Amino acid sequence: MSGTAQEPLVDQGVHDQVMATAERIKGLGEAAERSARDEVNQPTINNWLEAMGIDNPRWQCGEAPPAMAQVWTMYGLGGRPPADDPLHGMMRVLTDLGFTAVLGTNCEQEYARSLRVGERVRVTTRLESVVGPKATGMGVGYFVTSRNTWYVGDGPEAEVVATMLFRVLKFVPKETVAGRGEDA
Amino acid sequence: MSPVSIQTGTKLPEWELPITPTMVVSTAIATRDFQDVHHDRDIAQAAGSRDIFVNILTSTALCQKYVEDTLGHDVEIRGISIRLGAPAYPYDTLTFSGEVAEVRDGIAIVKVTGSVSLGAHVIGTVTVAVRAGAEA
Repeated sequence: MSGTAQEPLVDQGVHDQVMATAERIKGLGEAAERSARDEVNQPTINNWLEAMGIDNPRWQCGEAPPAMAQVWTMYGLGGRPPADDPLHGMMRVLTDLGFTAVLGTNCEQEYARSLRVGERVRVTTRLESVVGPKATGMGVGYFVTSRNTWYVGDGPEAEVVATMLFRVLKFVPKETVAGRGEDA
Repeated sequence: MSPVSIQTGTKLPEWELPITPTMVVSTAIATRDFQDVHHDRDIAQAAGSRDIFVNILTSTALCQKYVEDTLGHDVEIRGISIRLGAPAYPYDTLTFSGEVAEVRDGIAIVKVTGSVSLGAHVIGTVTVAVRAGAEA
């Protein structure tokens, strides 16, 4: 029956642009490698333990808690992702296309071993997938999945110490679509 | 609290954590996450949020703490996978519950949920290596 075809969630041209960008950035593979500002160190561990209310003595003598893996390579105050960062490159394109809002949905960390004080990690970022468009409770958007890999050591000595899958929903907030303004 | 045994079906004792502005801000900064929505209420509200809210690195960290405090300080955590739900705002309470879902080949899969008044804030799967002899 004609005239009943559902209106697509996203304009075909916009969708094609999203998917083409995703393919290009996925092709970069592991990119935007950067080193932690500091070596794994006890004062930073102690601040984290204090804030989390963790009193496990195991983390007070040179071994870093596994859930701190990502902390060592955070950008810091005023820090910005490099221009070639696969995740932020994909996010920027989606923002420019109107998918302005972001919501973290999944974070899956695996730890190969715990880190020791004195080690310096480096991290790479890879765009794994962009899936959508999906109509969610928050609005229409794309699920963007990236993978970080943390290493200690270089060259043939390089060792993967942790990985993280991170998924966000990048979406057009519902009230924007409905044209009810942004204060709904 | 004293550790519970790591067996399929073992329920972890509940743990309640009151959320305060200090907790949200200090954990965000301790995880080196300086995004303004985790420390500046005016900006968080202008962005459509009710208040500042707990960051993702802290949700992961609290899953580690909960599992270590209930299963024993010497457990070897191999992975923490979380699904994020309702935001955790100050003046709410995060209530953690959990269960050992499976123990196989020396690996225990622990399911944990951290709930706030709005619903589940974090639904986590924590993978723990079980030491020989610890499997009661």
